[in-house]
Amino acid sequence: MDYLLHILVMVCLYAILASSFNLLIGFAGLFALSHAAFYALGAYAAAITTTSLGLPFPLPLLIAVVFAAVMSVLIALPALRVSGHYLVVISLALQMIVIEVILNWTSLTGGTDGISGIPAYTIGSLRLDSPGRFLLAAVPITALCFWICWRLAHSPFGRALRAMRENEDAAEAVGKNILYMKVSVFAVSAGLTAIAGVLFARYFTYVGAQSFTIDETIYVLAMVILGGTANLWGSVLGAAILVILPELLKFVALPVDIADKLRLIIYGVILILILRFRPEGLLPEPRGEKAMFVSINAQEPVGASNDLFAGSKDNVGEVILEGRNLRKSFGGITAVSDFSIILKKGQITGLIGPNGAGKTTAFNLLTGFLKPDSGEIALRGKNIIGRRPHELVGAGLARSFQDLRLFTKMTVIENVLVALPNQSGDSLFRVFFKRRHVREEERENAARAMEILRFVELHDKAYETAENLSYAEEKLLVVARLLATGAEVLLFDEPMSGLDPTTLAEIFPVIRKLAESGKAVCIIEHNLDVIKELCDVVYFLDEGRAMAVATPEELMSNPELATRYFG
Amino acid sequence: MKRTLLIWLAAGMLTFSAASAQEAPKDPEVFKIGAILAMSGKADWYGKVMSAGILQAVDEINAKGGIEGIKLEAVIEDHKSGVAKEGVSAITRLINIHNVQAVLSSFSPPTLAIAPIADEKGILVLNGGGVSTAMVGASKYLFHNRSLASDLGRAAAKRANELGLKRLAQLAWKSDAGESIIAAVEPYWKSKGGTITATEFMEVGAPNIDTQVAKIRASNPDWVGLWLFSPDPGLALKKIREFGLRVPVIGIEYNEDIQKIAGKHSDGYEYTSDYFTPSPEFPWSQQFAENYKKRTGEDPEFYAANYYEAVYVVAEAIRRARAKGGDYWNGAKLAAAIRENPEFDSVYGGKMVFQENGVAKKRVALFRVKDGKSEFVSYITPD
Amino acid sequence: MDLLLQLLVNGIINGSHYALLGIGFGLIFATTRIVHFAYGPIFTFAAYVGWLLAGGLGLSVWVGLTGAVATALVLGLLSYLLIYRPLELRNAPVLVPLIASLGLYIVLENLVGVIFGTGVRVVEHLDTQIFFVGPVFFTSLHVWQVISFLVLGGALSLYLRRTRIGKAILAMTDNPEMARIIGIDTLRVSLIVFAIGSMISAVPAMLILLKDGASTHMGFAAVFLAFVAVVVGGVGSLKGAAAGGFLLGLVQSLGLWQIPTEWQNSIAFIVLFLMILLRPEGLFGVRTR
Repeated sequence: MDYLLHILVMVCLYAILASSFNLLIGFAGLFALSHAAFYALGAYAAAITTTSLGLPFPLPLLIAVVFAAVMSVLIALPALRVSGHYLVVISLALQMIVIEVILNWTSLTGGTDGISGIPAYTIGSLRLDSPGRFLLAAVPITALCFWICWRLAHSPFGRALRAMRENEDAAEAVGKNILYMKVSVFAVSAGLTAIAGVLFARYFTYVGAQSFTIDETIYVLAMVILGGTANLWGSVLGAAILVILPELLKFVALPVDIADKLRLIIYGVILILILRFRPEGLLPEPRGEKAMFVSINAQEPVGASNDLFAGSKDNVGEVILEGRNLRKSFGGITAVSDFSIILKKGQITGLIGPNGAGKTTAFNLLTGFLKPDSGEIALRGKNIIGRRPHELVGAGLARSFQDLRLFTKMTVIENVLVALPNQSGDSLFRVFFKRRHVREEERENAARAMEILRFVELHDKAYETAENLSYAEEKLLVVARLLATGAEVLLFDEPMSGLDPTTLAEIFPVIRKLAESGKAVCIIEHNLDVIKELCDVVYFLDEGRAMAVATPEELMSNPELATRYFG
Repeated sequence: MKRTLLIWLAAGMLTFSAASAQEAPKDPEVFKIGAILAMSGKADWYGKVMSAGILQAVDEINAKGGIEGIKLEAVIEDHKSGVAKEGVSAITRLINIHNVQAVLSSFSPPTLAIAPIADEKGILVLNGGGVSTAMVGASKYLFHNRSLASDLGRAAAKRANELGLKRLAQLAWKSDAGESIIAAVEPYWKSKGGTITATEFMEVGAPNIDTQVAKIRASNPDWVGLWLFSPDPGLALKKIREFGLRVPVIGIEYNEDIQKIAGKHSDGYEYTSDYFTPSPEFPWSQQFAENYKKRTGEDPEFYAANYYEAVYVVAEAIRRARAKGGDYWNGAKLAAAIRENPEFDSVYGGKMVFQENGVAKKRVALFRVKDGKSEFVSYITPD
Repeated sequence: MDLLLQLLVNGIINGSHYALLGIGFGLIFATTRIVHFAYGPIFTFAAYVGWLLAGGLGLSVWVGLTGAVATALVLGLLSYLLIYRPLELRNAPVLVPLIASLGLYIVLENLVGVIFGTGVRVVEHLDTQIFFVGPVFFTSLHVWQVISFLVLGGALSLYLRRTRIGKAILAMTDNPEMARIIGIDTLRVSLIVFAIGSMISAVPAMLILLKDGASTHMGFAAVFLAFVAVVVGGVGSLKGAAAGGFLLGLVQSLGLWQIPTEWQNSIAFIVLFLMILLRPEGLFGVRTR
């Protein structure tokens, strides 16, 4: 009957809202509470274009989507420079402002009266003005929106989103264009939400600002959390539950004047109980093998493996990266005062020095994470100061982190996969319009990633979640991830700290092989045995500048440096 | 032969006309009336008093044997203080699960949202609380038994004009209700040669209106129009007086809650409202008030009265439609019954008449508050 | 000019109110990282119990205040023990306590309505003095609002800086893991901050009851603005929460000097939006990079 069908229509609407919100919050980790504002923009765009301009289907829908997407980009660009709680407040502020503008711009939006008389959809001569008939439009549109979310999430782009969610800096350090990802997921989410808004307008034939307040955003947020973040079916489930539950409660007979309040109390209690007993939500984020969207035949021949180390062995000694007179201060503290370094092809360069000498800062400067106050940096002769880290990864310069910064909730193989370069699946356009190509490439990349894992002997843990690895395995994964970037210049920040001699002996050949295949490697290390064993040349850094540059043996026998180092 | 045919023909015609003229009325088992009210959320006070009025009427009618022997039942739904989509969910439930043919609605957004459904399914909708002009004509089955905001606002302005006041500062709800009043008052006031020194808005239920009152005071008006509904006029009165503004304040609403907040600052406040005052002149009004006091422990104000009355209007419409027989228990027939004879008894006293646009003309009265009690001053007709 | 002065005074008075709410909320948030939405309806409950004692039963205002503080204390502790702590122990993802808090908010707010009924509650026969200083006016309750902020804010500041527990709280605010590692009993500290934060909110609750009357939905504005004040001021800084509260109060007031009041909601947010863009860590927050 109509009532049940009406509920189904509401479930459809909220399924779209919840899954698009999940993309933002669950997959990308962008906690932006402005969802209902885009819902409103879509609904009002549809209302205005159909009533004042009389435009026929599909124009109102297209206009609404484009409008919402454009607005979201305009808003996202400044807003996404902040994160965490600040993003929450800014997006909340936007939500309030949008609603206020709608309420005050009476000539356009009808102000507090809203806009009524929106024409219903018609298919031929059939007017979709009853719940049952409206489902004819709602169900396919909802399915389409869900499919869009699904495709986006289950693609290299989606994987990159999750990596960004886990650790933004690390994602950037493996070559992901963070800004592009944030803006595009924001735009897609806004566009899909606007579609829900258009459906709202066409179904209720009346739009008023009270339907799109912060309460609505919070309602949808509850659906996402309840269903399970980063699980799209969870969002549909969450939507269904939170739409149906209040309606079910209406069948519980209660004294009239407090009935609805009691029902809300029961609703709140149920919400708390579900979260208490299943805090991760009803459906969990896919882990392990389920997180892959192509399958790898583990017995597959090693086809594309050796190109990891393909690289010309000629021109050994060529200068690839050069930093000159770099200087960086923070407030009153000078971290790096006058640092110069040269990294040559085929060479392993060591960077040592006491704590606080400025080694990690030097890495940050070289790879674009910090901008030097003065000095020059040239990669193959071209100045790279001012370029973003992810661009530099693409140009062949990558680094790892002292504190690992693995993508802890992702699997081992995903950690490596996300770092592989030149993935066409990083582009949303190709994810949707060149699906076959992306799929093929994904298969190749998966095989390549497995090869890399075989190389560091982590292949049997490929589907293990990164946070479950032992310390030594984590360090190996860091190396594998950096290696996967395919960069020519590899900067390792304390790759071996805390490892036992056996594991060290396993990693040495890996690093050596990298240099032999033509990479320019630089390692920050405290362990002098490692330095002696691996490095061709060592820079001794103290007080922000290179005190000495020599072979390991020369450095070790210098008493002055020993004093500096050991105090 | 011809004569037999004629007789048969005549007999046939007689039976035929008899049957169509007076088909037996198709009675339902019970008359279910729906109500969509603010049962939760910021404005839940309205839901409380409106539902109290409705249930009292239903009980009274049933105690007397129902309508032509058939019982009445009210089903109360919640639109969460005026959320349009909740109104739609509510009416869908009412129609599908309870098979109502008449709905008492409140607040403009839900009423506007359910209007197309009412049109399509043929449901009678009676609004006793919402005031926005946007609602008028939204559905051919929509009627209102309260004066619209525009009428009340203009009446207040007329009063100010009578007092010789010239400079109006307005404080209005940022909602369809508040803006309707401003839209009605401003041209009227200006046509009487008045000026508007300030127009300030407040969110419904906003706790902090210091800035608005400060700006009003600074604009130096000689009267303040309060286009607010319960309980905000109380806060406004308090702040206005505390800020040292002594000029007359005229509004369009007053009740116990407002008095509680305003305290002694309500003295001298005047307001225009649907004239509901229980008095011996009109025994029904007194009987309603006494019964209401017995049932709820409080004195009724006009919202409760409107919804109490609305049930009686629907009951009367049912009675009239039933008299015509046939399948009468549907919204379209009930609405037709109202249009055919738009005169109904009003609990306010006397009769009220539903006009062409569906709005029942009620007498608007001017009241003044003295020592925490409201006193009738005069009737006032906005021109 | 007169208007401007009045608006300035209003801004300071309301700023004190928001600052106090911000401090209470901020203390809880900075230490436990829990977005305690239920702070709002607990504020409401405190006001209603205050009314019950001072208004309904006609006892003195101070008795009412004591009742309000006690109510807030009990409800605050219960929320932590029954709702948040179990989630903490299960290492629930960050957003979950937020939604659970929302559930609690819904439960408590409607519970107030069920227990006390709808309709505004006021304490009648209060003798509030009205002061006029030049063109500016304010009442004795306004003075109390400012005084309570100064007294409680100052007391809290001393407590945090001088007592052992206070310093433990500050440590946890700075780095919860480290605090745990060096042996600070985080459960005890969490309980204490929930206790203090809730009790602090009872004072503005009581003052609002006396000033404007209590309604079942008064909690929304309280927690919403407190949250914004904390973030604007910089998470983790109580000085910041207070500053954020004052900024909010002043913007809400002065911001509308020339701008029509129909923009009251947004004006504060537009300014906040800009502020966060220009200084994302908040007024006194620490820039983490």
